[in-house]
Amino acid sequence: MIELFHVWKQYQKPFWALSDVTLQIRAGDFYFVTGPSGSGKTTLLKIIFRELLPTEGQILIDGVNALKIPESKIWRLRRQMGIVFQDFRLMFHRSVSENVAVPLQVTGVNRKEIRRRVFNTLQKVNLHQKMWEFPGRLSYGEQQRVAIARAIVNNPEIILADEPTGNLDPELAFEIVSLFKEINRQGTTVIIGSHDRELIRHFGDNIIFLQKGRIVGKEGR
Amino acid sequence: MTIICLSFLISGIFLALSNNLRETARVLAENMTISFFLDRTTSPQTTAALLRDVAQPPFIESVRFVRPEEAMEKFQASFPDLRDILVNLKANPFPPSIEARVRSKSASAAELVRFVQTMKTRPGVSDVQFNQDWVEKMQGFSRLARAVGVFLGGILILASFFIISNVIKLNVMARRNEIEILRLVGATNLFIRIPFWLEGIVLGLLGSLLSLGLLFIITKVFPLYLGSSLGALEQLLSFRYPDWRQALGLLAAGAATGFMGSATSVSKFLKN
Repeated sequence: MIELFHVWKQYQKPFWALSDVTLQIRAGDFYFVTGPSGSGKTTLLKIIFRELLPTEGQILIDGVNALKIPESKIWRLRRQMGIVFQDFRLMFHRSVSENVAVPLQVTGVNRKEIRRRVFNTLQKVNLHQKMWEFPGRLSYGEQQRVAIARAIVNNPEIILADEPTGNLDPELAFEIVSLFKEINRQGTTVIIGSHDRELIRHFGDNIIFLQKGRIVGKEGR
Repeated sequence: MTIICLSFLISGIFLALSNNLRETARVLAENMTISFFLDRTTSPQTTAALLRDVAQPPFIESVRFVRPEEAMEKFQASFPDLRDILVNLKANPFPPSIEARVRSKSASAAELVRFVQTMKTRPGVSDVQFNQDWVEKMQGFSRLARAVGVFLGGILILASFFIISNVIKLNVMARRNEIEILRLVGATNLFIRIPFWLEGIVLGLLGSLLSLGLLFIITKVFPLYLGSSLGALEQLLSFRYPDWRQALGLLAAGAATGFMGSATSVSKFLKN
């Protein structure tokens, strides 16, 4: 469960990137956070994975006060999450399988187990045949699927995706969000920040509308 | 790596020079003798009393009476070329003397000087000769060489520290995306730091190892290059290669410099 209580974030006076955001996202939910550019979607996601600290407010992740976690222990929180970005953030000098293996390597999983899990995950995103390729030789859609594979390989409880389809054409965007849906069906909480109305209309179970940092609407099924 | 190598090479050169001076001083100190030249007319009783008094101070290891004939034989053996001059002399020019061997490191210069001056005033003693000055000078040079080495080496090691730190900083910057990804997937700071630490240590170790290699070449080549052109100074200016403890010390200093340089730059980056 992700809970935000009266969260405010200010980068520069007098503008508020987030204003009094309060929300609860239950485990296993699928959420879209939407709104125009500069509405605070990325800031909200960054605050959830503790890339940013709010100016005011409280955040609980599975009952743990995320703001009380010291900087040196942030890795504990991050290991519960898989994060996907619009620009994929892949290591281009490493192969697809090496990129996907990173979250397992940092947790000290043995090599044999890493190989098995990386292959299974790449199978899920239908990239197992390109596991030895380098990301630079893949299409954008494939690169994003590598990023998703990296986000799900250690079975996180939460997936946060910031504009994951921003660089993709509509067909690929549908394919990617379908993949997130599939991951969500297996019990993972998924939060996607997107301004793609078509996608939201098609896949949106729960939607949070942001404008100028405020929640201006919520829809839920 | 060149600057790291140069830094340690300069420290090493001064260390090698200081080693040599210290060794020369040690040899001199071990052979330090005081010769009390006596009047030819000194009676056996006075000589015996002088022998007893010279042997008294705790810093005197042994005393020996040297007869004029013995002194002449010693001179002839030491300077065979001058043997003919002595043959032509009618009388033996060497006076009888008392040779006292000083325990190394057991007497201070002041103590020795006081002792020598007291003995000089005794009836029967015509002159005194000893090489304390040389020992003191040699020890002084050795300390000076080491101090200069520590000073110059220290400055250069500090420079290498900043250079390693900057090399790693550039490396960290070049890999900032990778570090960012590692942090996002839950890597601990230690996991991120270790490769950079190792890189710094390897840089430092290679630099100091290379400097030891160059130092070895210098200590071997320097005497061949200069030959005997230095004359009497050769003994002072030759290099003594650092012993294994000093070599290990230089390597450890290299590794430590590399480690500290990388640790500071990675820490700064991770804090930011």
